[in-house]
Amino acid sequence: MSCIVANSLVKSYGGIVAVDGIDLSVKSGKIFGFLGPNGAGKTTTIKLLTTLIAPTSGTITILGIDATRYPLDVRKRIGVVLQQPSYEPTLSVEKSLEKYGMMWNVDKKTRRDRLEELLSAFNLQEIRNRKNEDLSIGQRRRVQVAREFMHDMELLFLDEPTVGLDPSARRGLLDFVKKKVKDGLTVFFTTHILNEAEYLCDEIAIINKGKIIAIDTPDELKNKFGREKTIKVRLQEARKDLPNLLVGVRDYELEFNSGTNITIRSNDSEEVLLKILQILTANDIAIEDLSVVPTSLEEIFLTVVKNSNASSD
Amino acid sequence: MHPVIRLTNRNLTISLNKGFLIWQVIFPLIYIFVAGFAYTALINSVPFGNKTLDYPAYISSGMIGFNIMNSTLVSGIIIWNDRRHGMFEQILAGPFTRSQYILSNIYTIGIVGLISAALIAAVGYPLFFKSAEFNVLTIPLLVFASVTGSILFGSIASIISTRLRSSEGFNVVINTVFLFFAFVSTAFYPAEGAPPVLSTAFYFNPLTYLVDVVRAGIFGSFSNFVEIEMLILIVIAFSLFSIATKLLSKLEL
Repeated sequence: MSCIVANSLVKSYGGIVAVDGIDLSVKSGKIFGFLGPNGAGKTTTIKLLTTLIAPTSGTITILGIDATRYPLDVRKRIGVVLQQPSYEPTLSVEKSLEKYGMMWNVDKKTRRDRLEELLSAFNLQEIRNRKNEDLSIGQRRRVQVAREFMHDMELLFLDEPTVGLDPSARRGLLDFVKKKVKDGLTVFFTTHILNEAEYLCDEIAIINKGKIIAIDTPDELKNKFGREKTIKVRLQEARKDLPNLLVGVRDYELEFNSGTNITIRSNDSEEVLLKILQILTANDIAIEDLSVVPTSLEEIFLTVVKNSNASSD
Repeated sequence: MHPVIRLTNRNLTISLNKGFLIWQVIFPLIYIFVAGFAYTALINSVPFGNKTLDYPAYISSGMIGFNIMNSTLVSGIIIWNDRRHGMFEQILAGPFTRSQYILSNIYTIGIVGLISAALIAAVGYPLFFKSAEFNVLTIPLLVFASVTGSILFGSIASIISTRLRSSEGFNVVINTVFLFFAFVSTAFYPAEGAPPVLSTAFYFNPLTYLVDVVRAGIFGSFSNFVEIEMLILIVIAFSLFSIATKLLSKLEL
């Protein structure tokens, strides 16, 4: 069952189209990654889906509810961590979590239990009595994300939640989200850190200039867009005549300084490698190391966005 | 619990801090006890309706109105802080409507206004008890002044907070506006005896009407003129509240 369905969604401000006819379907109990360069329309899409702004045209159904007609009913069942920081400067960490739970009508005992759980899960115990205004950006972000888990929800929107977090805090947050998804939560997640999306997401959409340009599982995206493989070959010693020997071989680069590192970047990397190996063997050139660099989501992202920009130009 | 009550609870928690309480209590106390007695040398008595009040009694009753106005700064500060620190969007992404957010602010300033009025009335009582004439209208008039004044000045503070983003701008504008309201009014001195231009200006200021209603309640001087002043207060409060609501509803997220 899909808990987010958007059809032909458009949002324009004056003459500027921020979201340009996107279609989305997010399955329940999954983590959906939403990637895109700056200004691609990610945050506008989140604001549309969370009913903070109304679409210019198109339909949005969240958890089976028509979001444009019944926005409050939607908001009662979702959680939102917005991209911008949000905090009450004069409240302590503990108090702001407690008050947030109260605002969501969570009963006192549950609030107390969740507060302790979240303070420990997000490593906030030591700063529980410190005021929000005295926290670092990263600590404030952790409080902001932790606070959202004070209330029950079926769907959580996370708009770049790990911005400002150190690697261990980032991993802790992602693992906490994963755990909650195992318990039945659905997550709509935007990020700029692509290995995060790879680590976390079951499905990924890439948005550029307001349009979705790719949508699939991370593996399928790699299969579709990641045919180009990178293979690195390191020779035992440099040979001055190597460039001459490799004349006619395409899609390779020889590192100028060392003269020992050959990088093959091609859709037919294996074929290129075979040719190079034949030349090296024929000329008694010994290989010290050979490695295949796996295609990362980052490379796919860059390729897809580059292709999209080229086709729109 | 109703969403408006939950939001009001949250507003009171973030507003009622030490700084605010000092502002609300110490500041008026200085006015009443220091300025009140110090100025007695200059202003021996103040004619008020058919009676004469000593200056400390006059200023302490004026401070009730002044404090109601001052407490409404809370509303502007809440909205401004919420916008500045992202809580406005966060709240509206939660189980609340904009109307509930606005209403919770009005409730908050109403409560703070009532508390402030009661506090200053209690503190000022020893000074005005000799001239006080409590009757059945006293409590209703004081409650009317607290509620209408809170809505009226709270709306002004809210309007300013929706138009300004920088803290410097907000503080300069709000302080200038409220300074004008405070000193071009009958809160500290009577209109009679002031230069004609100034005494006319006093009556272009809603704080003058508010203070007149408070004094009518305390000194038993309710009249047709006070009735008209109450009517004017209701009209201004309603108009400003409508404008504030409209501006808040249109605030872009």
